[in-house]
Amino acid sequence: MSQVVIKDKIPREELMASGHVACPGCGGTLAMRLVLKGLGPKTIVTLPACCWTIISGPFPQSALSVPLLHTAFETTAATASGVRAALDMQGDKDTTVLAWAGDGGTFDIGLQALSGAAERNEDILYVCYDNEAYMNTGIQRSSATPWGAWTTTTPVGTPKSHPKKDLIAILAAHRVPYAATATVAHPVDLVEKVQKAKATRGTKFIHVLAPCPPGWKTSDEETIELARMAVRSRVFPLYEVENGQRWRLTGDHPGDPVEPYIRKQGRFRHLTPDQIRVIQADVDQRWELLMRRVEYGA
Amino acid sequence: MPEDRDIAHGVPPIAVSSTSTLANRTGSWKYIRPIYQDMVAPCNAACPVGIDIEGYMNLLREGKVAEARDLLLRENPMPAVTGRVCDHPCQTHCNRAFFDDAVAIHAVERMLGDLEPEVRVPIPPRTRKEKVAVVGSGPAGLACAYPLARLGYAVTVFESDPEPGGALRYGIPEYRLPRNVLVREIERIRAQGVVIQCGVQVGKGTPWKQLQSYDAMFIATGARVSRPLALAGGEVADVRPGLDFLREVEGGERRTIGRRVVVVGGTDTAVDCARTALRLGAEPVVVCQGTRADLTANAEAVEEAIREGVRFEFKVWPVGVQTARHTEQEPPLEAIRTMYAEREERERLTGVECVRMTPGEADASGARRALPVQGTNFVIPADLMLTALGEEPDLAFLPPEVTRKDYTVIADEFGRNHPGVFAGGDITGQPRTVAHSLGSGKRAAIGIDRYLRERAGEKIADGDPAALRFGGTGNFSITRWRDDDPIRRQSPVNEVVPFEKLNMAHFASVPGKTDRHRSFEERRSSFAEANLGLTTNEALAEARRCFNCGVCNMCELCLIFCPDVAIKRHPSGHAFSLSYKYCKGCGVCVEECPRGAMTMTREGL
Amino acid sequence: MKKVIMGNHAVSWGVRLSRAEVIAAYPITPQTQVVEELSEMCASGALNARFIKVEGEHSAMAACVGAASAGARTFTATSAQGLALMHEMLHWAGNARLPIVMADINRAMAPGWTVWTDQNDSLSQRDTGWLQFYCESNQEVLDTTVQAFKIAEIVDLPVMIVLDAFYLSHTYEPVDIPEQAEVDAFLPKRVARYKLDVNDPHSFGALAPPPVYMEMRLRQQEAMEQALKVVDEVDEEWGRRFGRRYGAVESYRTEGAELVLVVSSTITSTARYVVDQLREKGEKVGLVKARLFRPFPTEAMRRALAGVPHVAVLDRNISPGHCGIFAEEIRAALYDLADGRRPKIHGYIIGLGGRDVKPENIIDCIDRTRETAKSGKPMPREAGWVGVQP
Repeated sequence: MSQVVIKDKIPREELMASGHVACPGCGGTLAMRLVLKGLGPKTIVTLPACCWTIISGPFPQSALSVPLLHTAFETTAATASGVRAALDMQGDKDTTVLAWAGDGGTFDIGLQALSGAAERNEDILYVCYDNEAYMNTGIQRSSATPWGAWTTTTPVGTPKSHPKKDLIAILAAHRVPYAATATVAHPVDLVEKVQKAKATRGTKFIHVLAPCPPGWKTSDEETIELARMAVRSRVFPLYEVENGQRWRLTGDHPGDPVEPYIRKQGRFRHLTPDQIRVIQADVDQRWELLMRRVEYGA
Repeated sequence: MPEDRDIAHGVPPIAVSSTSTLANRTGSWKYIRPIYQDMVAPCNAACPVGIDIEGYMNLLREGKVAEARDLLLRENPMPAVTGRVCDHPCQTHCNRAFFDDAVAIHAVERMLGDLEPEVRVPIPPRTRKEKVAVVGSGPAGLACAYPLARLGYAVTVFESDPEPGGALRYGIPEYRLPRNVLVREIERIRAQGVVIQCGVQVGKGTPWKQLQSYDAMFIATGARVSRPLALAGGEVADVRPGLDFLREVEGGERRTIGRRVVVVGGTDTAVDCARTALRLGAEPVVVCQGTRADLTANAEAVEEAIREGVRFEFKVWPVGVQTARHTEQEPPLEAIRTMYAEREERERLTGVECVRMTPGEADASGARRALPVQGTNFVIPADLMLTALGEEPDLAFLPPEVTRKDYTVIADEFGRNHPGVFAGGDITGQPRTVAHSLGSGKRAAIGIDRYLRERAGEKIADGDPAALRFGGTGNFSITRWRDDDPIRRQSPVNEVVPFEKLNMAHFASVPGKTDRHRSFEERRSSFAEANLGLTTNEALAEARRCFNCGVCNMCELCLIFCPDVAIKRHPSGHAFSLSYKYCKGCGVCVEECPRGAMTMTREGL
Repeated sequence: MKKVIMGNHAVSWGVRLSRAEVIAAYPITPQTQVVEELSEMCASGALNARFIKVEGEHSAMAACVGAASAGARTFTATSAQGLALMHEMLHWAGNARLPIVMADINRAMAPGWTVWTDQNDSLSQRDTGWLQFYCESNQEVLDTTVQAFKIAEIVDLPVMIVLDAFYLSHTYEPVDIPEQAEVDAFLPKRVARYKLDVNDPHSFGALAPPPVYMEMRLRQQEAMEQALKVVDEVDEEWGRRFGRRYGAVESYRTEGAELVLVVSSTITSTARYVVDQLREKGEKVGLVKARLFRPFPTEAMRRALAGVPHVAVLDRNISPGHCGIFAEEIRAALYDLADGRRPKIHGYIIGLGGRDVKPENIIDCIDRTRETAKSGKPMPREAGWVGVQP
């Protein structure tokens, strides 16, 4: 059928329960649900302060049917390294250690621990679900917030004036075996990348775009469409990097203009046409850079 | 884990979990909720026959070819015909056209119609004691007889022509509708136990009184009286109604005709005459008052005609004929005898005098009458002129019970004008197409069934007739009348699903397949079928392009994209369970549903 | 087996004999030899453990939290700035009730930069839910390290072993290293009561709202109270097996004393020498060694000091704006003693930043105490800071 049928490519087992307390339409929840489907029940999750701390439910509840270790904000990768070491000493080669953190806990406060783990090539899968701000604490800017966006610490008068950090490039510089981007609108791509990561030894990193209705000022039902638009407009291309050297695209990027994507989000409502042109130029330039990397590597 | 035993002061020593979040009824957060609500596909609503097109496309997608064919045949007794000659408003309304190309529904219908049934189906049992008479074996009459027989009635069709089919046989040439195809379609109707008596002219040879023993009567005698053309020059033998010409060719006349043939009119009949004449060796010219856009003929047929070599003169109208007594000009090519007279001394047509036309002022109704432009007269050489200005029904032979007004019969689906007397097809005021006639016959069948059941004392629920129509505005559906939909539709609502409700992101663009045609060289000299259609596999591929608008096909995108895991597969395997206990009403499922089979509603909260 | 080893290596040996499984550590002077020796032990296979060379101390403790949560026996070591950096995670380990063992090489806090000893770094962590042992000798360091794992795993609380920078860490002393089999008999494999287990999945450390948080803290406090008993039991068992006992609190020649010094860490050795000297001269002076600081051994401290007229507490630390921390805690512990049984407490700040504490400095404290006792007036603050320039 010309519908792209995906149901047979998404593992059926649910490892996340209903009743979690995420906002309606939360991209981060769908990200967890899909990643756990890709990994299966032999998974242990380390989780710092972030939306998921709350989403997973207060004591004595847990939304996950896999073990979950809550940990301090900056420590996700370090805690995961410790869990991995203990499992290794127990002779467990099957269980995946999943370090699961938001953009704040990855791009900013957690970057040191991530860099340390990546440099040591710890055998963990680190997934950053990126809603592009400190959403759990009420929408403050992070270094993952895109240029021009409103947040409570970059109000309309002084929107975010620095570009989004290129985290995959940072991971690639560590020469980790596998780093990739993914979104919740491309579930098969995400699950395949997770499974590829699971089969790889060493540090694996997946950067998942997870739209956030309250933080992006969008309507609840638009979460998937936003992620799709982000990919189609090349704002958030889908690609993977092996050993920091081989870059490969994994999706279709027709290069739709960014403006409709921008205009769909209230956090960009204040932008002028000139500013949107700046964003378009930046997207085009980053795409060119990515194309060079795909062609020449490293 | 010792947490069950290691409780002191009501808590374990650390914040270790012992339950899941299932304890939280997050469904209480919502102020709006999603529901599975199948809607009507626009093709279904647009079809004048009232076919569950979306339904059979769905079955084909599942590989259930026999079931798809059965569903089609419930509503349309002659899919091999309509697949060929209908101008497919279904395709015009197909939502896929907004994405890439409309699904070639006609080709799928034709393919299903052409399929040999695997099993001979037995004659439906006579479960009703009533008898129904149908006058006219054109599409309307046959489409009335067929479902009535399947509903258990004894049906007899009275046909004045020597062969059944009406306009299908005598109005549509063979190269558009091969006769073996027509015969098979009619045979299918006979196979329901319908008796067709040919050569019987009710109202002329056979009195209407003879039909009084029937419990109900359906009159569908069509419109065959060609409208005349007023011309200076009086009656000339070489000026004939186009319908008569086609009838004679159908009767086997294949004699060569004059090379130069002029056809007057912009109707399907006009185009059929021209293409038929072409195949008999002529160089036809079609003269029309308006532009190409004003033609009432099937657009594809016009296109084919032009490419076969038929010349059209637009904005031209005949004002007179030129004749000659002597055969001064020999047609240059082969030896010719005119079709209608031996070579003898008589008035023979040599040309048609025409004048150029221009659209005039719009009148009160907004219509613009074409007006002749002074001084633009010219002559088109012609050996034969055929008129095709439309047809009128002959109402003279009808019984007085049949209500009429302005040369048409007032048809009532429920026989209320006169109990037991129903009418349909071209003699009523509906559009003059095969599909509309088929649809009209079916409506009458439902009306007759209802009338007879009520007369027999059965209680029939007084529902809104619009509920029987696809989308409320389409044609009646036998399935809806019988309330035995083989397609699992979830809480269906009788509204058409608009394109905006679909989600194109989940479809890959696949261009549509176009029918194969015989080469023009072959076509010019042969009455073999010009349009070869698609192969079975190509037609099945077209069926797979169908979006299945408005009807859930269990693609599971709703389940996959739900952030709250609130959608699960129902144990039956044919539906989803949506847990409102946990659903927060975010609406992602409805937004992502590719075919608009889900809706957000505030009802029930 | 008797070996002459430095204090840091005594830690390493203790960790090796305890069969720690996961070590995560970051180098800092003067801790480095602890981890270097452990690296060698891991590399040679003498110790079967994963050593995670983390990129910072905060990550070191985070990795220990992760490993301990997954059921492993874990260890780390640090000092001063590193310990301070770990502070958030010390709370985490304490509240998560993880039996992590850590050696802290007592080093003064910067700025100005310093690598020499005082106790402010470890005492700043007193509220994090860790047990703290202050060690006097390399033998005690090794013995206490092994005991620490046992105690920790019984009460599910983390344990810190504290030793002075350079005076102990880098000083070579003869140490009787027990046989592995003997230690195995004393310390079996860890069986975690709660752990990350894919066959029995739970979440750990989720949101604990007001209705439950306090009870969990109460349970932690109860574990600390239980730890007092466990420390004694383990000490007694160690004495039986290895012939050495230390106690939470040790009294030395306090019979009939009119003045008792309260000391800790290496100052204790010097103070023993001073006490012996003074006793030779007939002076009724004794000392109490404060070994266990958390849980605070209130009962033991009362038993040791009740009825002693004057107690001079020597603090190699200061809580700015208040006083020496041992002094403050002892005053609080003795407050409820009946009138007449409650000693007068005299606090002295001594040896901050690694300044040497010589016998004459200790005698100085004794003299000042006697002066204050005679004058009846409170001691001026300047008198409480020993050896500083006026």
